[in-house]
Amino acid sequence: MSEPSESLRDNWDVEKLLADALRPIEPPERLSGRIEDTFAAITQTAAEELSAWAEELSESELRALRDPRNWVRPVVAVSAGGIATGALVVLELRRRSKQKSESGLRALSSGVRSRL
Amino acid sequence: MSGPEENVEPAQMPPAAKAELDRAFEDFYRAHLRDVYSYAYYRVGNHHDAEDLTEQAFLQAYRHFDRARRESDGRPLRPWLIRIAHNLASNYYRDRSRRPQTPLESVDPIATRHDTEAIAEGREELREVMANLEHLSEDRREALIMRFALGMDNREIARALGRSDGATKVLIHRAIKQLQEEMSDE
Repeated sequence: MSEPSESLRDNWDVEKLLADALRPIEPPERLSGRIEDTFAAITQTAAEELSAWAEELSESELRALRDPRNWVRPVVAVSAGGIATGALVVLELRRRSKQKSESGLRALSSGVRSRL
Repeated sequence: MSGPEENVEPAQMPPAAKAELDRAFEDFYRAHLRDVYSYAYYRVGNHHDAEDLTEQAFLQAYRHFDRARRESDGRPLRPWLIRIAHNLASNYYRDRSRRPQTPLESVDPIATRHDTEAIAEGREELREVMANLEHLSEDRREALIMRFALGMDNREIARALGRSDGATKVLIHRAIKQLQEEMSDE
């Protein structure tokens, strides 16, 4: 059986090794670009959905919208925006997945750079 | 006004609220990108899948960020974020019937931070500890990744793993002890 002092020393060694072995990993720059692109696309699409919907309205429609009985349409429009956003993300992920499978990481990386 | 239990998708928020949410999330994302990536890399063992997992974790976090902030009562959200990554990593193995790749794709990102002499002396030990890490159960391995790669304390790890503080302390102690015994045997 180990002496307490020896046990403590061994324990310290393993923790030191773990601290050396499990260093934080810096994410590649392309990943930051990729994630920021995705969020930019989400934000832009949601804004375009709302903007396009607002421009379609005439004065009479705006007046009608003030009537609570007509509040179903905005709810539907906003929901559609959410669905469209979700669809965009799915399409983007599929496109990236296809791109990866077709030409590997190098093509993915250059594709991301070209969009930045 | 939304109750604490209700999640409002960012796309369904009023513009001003969404803009504030986006700014807060951007800060959150920048503060924790390295944490999520490190966690993902040590879980899946290669950079390609770690990137996918990191992106998915942040997309999912974004959808529920508003609710998480409301329910956090000012506590740090890092354990919540790492828990999302943890769940995604678990699905990754379940869906693809994969096991962590061992050894990791490369220890070079780690080794490049050492000088040449230290690499010669310590590299074999690092490989050994990484190999033995794979012998641990998933929860023990995860706890050590969170402690050493992410620098999380026991309370944060407990929240990320959905355990009590006491149980987490025991988990980490046993994980280190097992590693120590396995390395002593070799």
